[in-house]
Amino acid sequence: MPTLSDISPRSAAWVTPPMLVLGFVMLSAPLWLGAVGLYQYLGIEIAIWMIYALGFNLLFGYTGLHSFGHGAYLGVGGYAFGLFQHHVGSSLWGGLAAAILAAGLAGVLVGAAVSHRRGIYFALLTIAFGQVFWFSSIKLHWLTGGEDGLLNIPRPPLDLVFLEVPLGDNLSLYYFVVAVLALAILALWRMVNSPFGRILQAIRQNEMRAAFVGYEVWRFKLMAFVLSAMFAGLAGGLFAMAQESAYPDVMSLHQSGLIVMMVLVGGGLVSFWGPVLGVVLYFVARDVLGALTETWLLWYGLMFMAMVMFRPEGLAGVLHRLRRRPEPGATPRPAASEGA
Amino acid sequence: MKNLRVTRRGLLGATAAATGIAAFNGPWRFNRVYAASTDKPVKIGITSDASGQYANSGASDRRGMLMAIDEFNAKGGVLGRKIESVHIDTETTPATGSRVAERLISREECGFLIGAVSSGVANAISQVAQKYGTIYLNTNSSSPSESGENCHRVKFVWDGNGTNFAKAAVKNSIDNFGGKWMLLTNDYVWGHTTAAATRKLVDEYGAEIVDEILVPQGTRDFSSALLKIQQAGPGVVSAAVGGDDQKALRQQVADLGMGDKPAWINNQQDWPDVYGLPLDNLFGVFGTTWYYKLDLPGVADFVKRYQAAYPDTSMRVPGNVFYNGYMATRELLRAIERAGTTNNIAVIKALEGHVMPAVERMQHHDAVVDPVTHQVQQTVYLATANRGSEDPDDMFKILTNSSPEVVQDMGAQSACKLESYADTPTLDV
Amino acid sequence: MVQLAPHLFNGLTLGLLFALIALGFTLIVGVMEVLNLAHGSLFALGAYIALTMIDPGWAQNTALGSFWLGLPIAARYAVALAFAPLLVALAGMLLERCLRPTYDKAPLYGLLLTFGAALVIEELIRLGWGTGERHLPVPGAINGAFFFGGLIFSKYKIFAALFSLAAIGAVWFFLERTPYGAIIKAGAHDSEMVRALGYDLARLRMFVFGFGAALAGLAGIVMVPIWGLRPHVGIDVVIPAFLIIVLGGVGSFWGAVVASILVGLAVGVTGAYAPAWSLMSMYLLLIAVVCYRSRGLFGRKSALER
Repeated sequence: MPTLSDISPRSAAWVTPPMLVLGFVMLSAPLWLGAVGLYQYLGIEIAIWMIYALGFNLLFGYTGLHSFGHGAYLGVGGYAFGLFQHHVGSSLWGGLAAAILAAGLAGVLVGAAVSHRRGIYFALLTIAFGQVFWFSSIKLHWLTGGEDGLLNIPRPPLDLVFLEVPLGDNLSLYYFVVAVLALAILALWRMVNSPFGRILQAIRQNEMRAAFVGYEVWRFKLMAFVLSAMFAGLAGGLFAMAQESAYPDVMSLHQSGLIVMMVLVGGGLVSFWGPVLGVVLYFVARDVLGALTETWLLWYGLMFMAMVMFRPEGLAGVLHRLRRRPEPGATPRPAASEGA
Repeated sequence: MKNLRVTRRGLLGATAAATGIAAFNGPWRFNRVYAASTDKPVKIGITSDASGQYANSGASDRRGMLMAIDEFNAKGGVLGRKIESVHIDTETTPATGSRVAERLISREECGFLIGAVSSGVANAISQVAQKYGTIYLNTNSSSPSESGENCHRVKFVWDGNGTNFAKAAVKNSIDNFGGKWMLLTNDYVWGHTTAAATRKLVDEYGAEIVDEILVPQGTRDFSSALLKIQQAGPGVVSAAVGGDDQKALRQQVADLGMGDKPAWINNQQDWPDVYGLPLDNLFGVFGTTWYYKLDLPGVADFVKRYQAAYPDTSMRVPGNVFYNGYMATRELLRAIERAGTTNNIAVIKALEGHVMPAVERMQHHDAVVDPVTHQVQQTVYLATANRGSEDPDDMFKILTNSSPEVVQDMGAQSACKLESYADTPTLDV
Repeated sequence: MVQLAPHLFNGLTLGLLFALIALGFTLIVGVMEVLNLAHGSLFALGAYIALTMIDPGWAQNTALGSFWLGLPIAARYAVALAFAPLLVALAGMLLERCLRPTYDKAPLYGLLLTFGAALVIEELIRLGWGTGERHLPVPGAINGAFFFGGLIFSKYKIFAALFSLAAIGAVWFFLERTPYGAIIKAGAHDSEMVRALGYDLARLRMFVFGFGAALAGLAGIVMVPIWGLRPHVGIDVVIPAFLIIVLGGVGSFWGAVVASILVGLAVGVTGAYAPAWSLMSMYLLLIAVVCYRSRGLFGRKSALER
């Protein structure tokens, strides 16, 4: 199986062809969403989840740290956004900054405790912390509204100094989220192709070797953790806007497991773009299957099992293989594990 | 948001012009008219849970709605139009509730949404519904906040809530079991509001609450709470424990034989949750809004219609969840007929303050859609396990019925602030 | 005003129940280094199969069915306790067959495959047995309550705790005192050697996974008379099992048992003094322990740390 370090072209380019394709698809989506039986709100959700999944893959795919409690930071971001609107003032930038900072702070606290851990212990500690956040969000109902949710979160207008654009309807919010997604992709793309990104990948491939070369491994693990928590917080803030409310459920273990599932099915372990494919597949499959049958989870579960058994490199890996079909020996390494 | 109307309208125009998009932009304060001709069906979106904690209740709720829709279609639909329904699973998850509501409204073009068991999901749906002006019936979520601080102009609540049941039970229980009370409360919003209502009434009638045990949501082992109750020895325990926690609690109280002493007051026991279980699981006194063996005209026929419509379901008789789903849907369709239009504001006005005669609702007292809170004020029954019955389906023994005025939730009256008609987008499907 | 002793006793009982829940999970993690997220679903499956064995409502009109239903409940319960886990073992073996492609990959893949399997098994249970709450009958002799020191205790819970002790003892005996156990343990540490000695490693793995699944099913049968039975009952199982493994240390049998007791005591005692925090206490216990001892109480180094 190829890995992220094999496929992702180590390009210094700011803009690559997949970005243009994604940009074209996302920008034109409102034109054809209705025609293919989808709807605008689903587009918003998909774009938000792309931000979340891409940020998550910085930790999961690139650094090889398997967090199973990442929903916590999405949730923290959502609550921070809502609480900012309710108690500080109605402001888009303020709310999003609060979401990113609050999630980043939560990420620092948890990251400091987990970044010395490896493998299963890392994963389990992230689960334990995730559960603590989830419990707290239900318990602190004076702050969060408990299981009723934090309601009536406004969608503040986009304030661009010279122009105020309202985001009340789904179309304008969609374009705003797509713009944020574009910025997030650029930032992450630069990050993973920078020396910092290389170090993260070195840690994934062999933590001990990276340490012997002289890097303070835990510091980089902590940074990756916090950064990816901040992207989750940003996504959470946007999601609170989309839903106009925030609920504890996104923090549950089940939901944190789903993001892992999406990233993996899409091929986050082998490609920068894997999470994007995974999110699209999950949401569209759910929307289409969910309307056809009440047992859609059965079919999705079976599909997921088949994917792990036969195509563990995910959708992105399959696409990669198809593209490289003409050259024999497309995968330079044997299919042994790479600590991925 | 209201003060942004002008800029927003400008943006919409600009966006549409720039991109040539004629796609659906949401009826944000705009009037929307889908109904081109009268032969177009009226579409109802069913937002009930088919997976997650409330999957079972959601299925029962859905059967109730479908029976009401089928009965209307059999006599020619509503306003001469056929009624269609679309169901999408809300998964007992609020985020899914938001998306399903958006999809049903914007893609399926549903004019009405019906269904809820979990209050989080109900809130998520009603936020979306209010934004579009789509009427939403919360059939089975009994959280007092639904018709209190989280009420909406487009939302109507059809179940009795925790306060209603507490009001029906407290006075009665102090008289019978004494003044030493203990509260066993699930540590989340529903548990706390229900416990607070009980506490207020207990204080009012001069009884004493010796302790309140908070149990976290997700508790599966109640042994330490039950030990504490034994050590304190109260006369009455009032339990506000819901969902799967309640199922585990039931099992453990039955096993210890603690169901009779102390006396237990439970909140509503939903029929799908208890159907088929041993009677020991139905400990203490609990509330319900309807029972299939009420000695009232029409009940037997209703049960027959249920059995004819659903011959294959394992639940051989209808319960309160089915009843609420059916009644809510039927009353909505009747309101459309009274209004003579599917215009949302006209239908809302036809529902507000509408009195439903006892005989039509197969309850002991007339019910009314409260115009202030949008909750249906209805008869509340107290029941207990029906020991010694030959019929395994006949599980409840109805003890008392209380009229809507007696059990009315006054807290909701002051907490609920409905949006004005002007702030609710109009639409006609 | 709160007497501590009964709560300590209660915590101990609870700990033994946690140990029973975690037993199959520990075995599979310790021997195969696979985190079996389908553990909870197999737990539920065991209980549902036992339900059908004890009370096959659909079969009451057949001759065999009426004969079977004529037997005392204790006999039917004992048969279900013995045979339902075997059927769960078959399901486990099937799952192991699906796991094979993941053995030469990172542990993550085994975990993900079993996550998918958990979804599938739960949905199949919904299809087969419906979504409603069910009741698993237990024999009268272990049903009901008894008085001790002025307090009421559940007979069934004492039975379940003793059953758990017996199961712990049996698994320990099997692993430590029988030649089979020796081979299994060897397979965990040196699969080359096991193969060189002429044992079929594939079959060994299949057996171990089936055994772990059977233990999950057994725990399900014993636990649902306390928790109640519904298709998603398994979600309440995986998290405690996880916590216990990490707290006790991956790969340590006794570590898991000690951790179970600790978790039980933590939940029981917080239940007495601060019940609102009783569930949170196990997570806080885990975080406290693992921040000091990275491999838990008795953990060894394992492949799962990659």
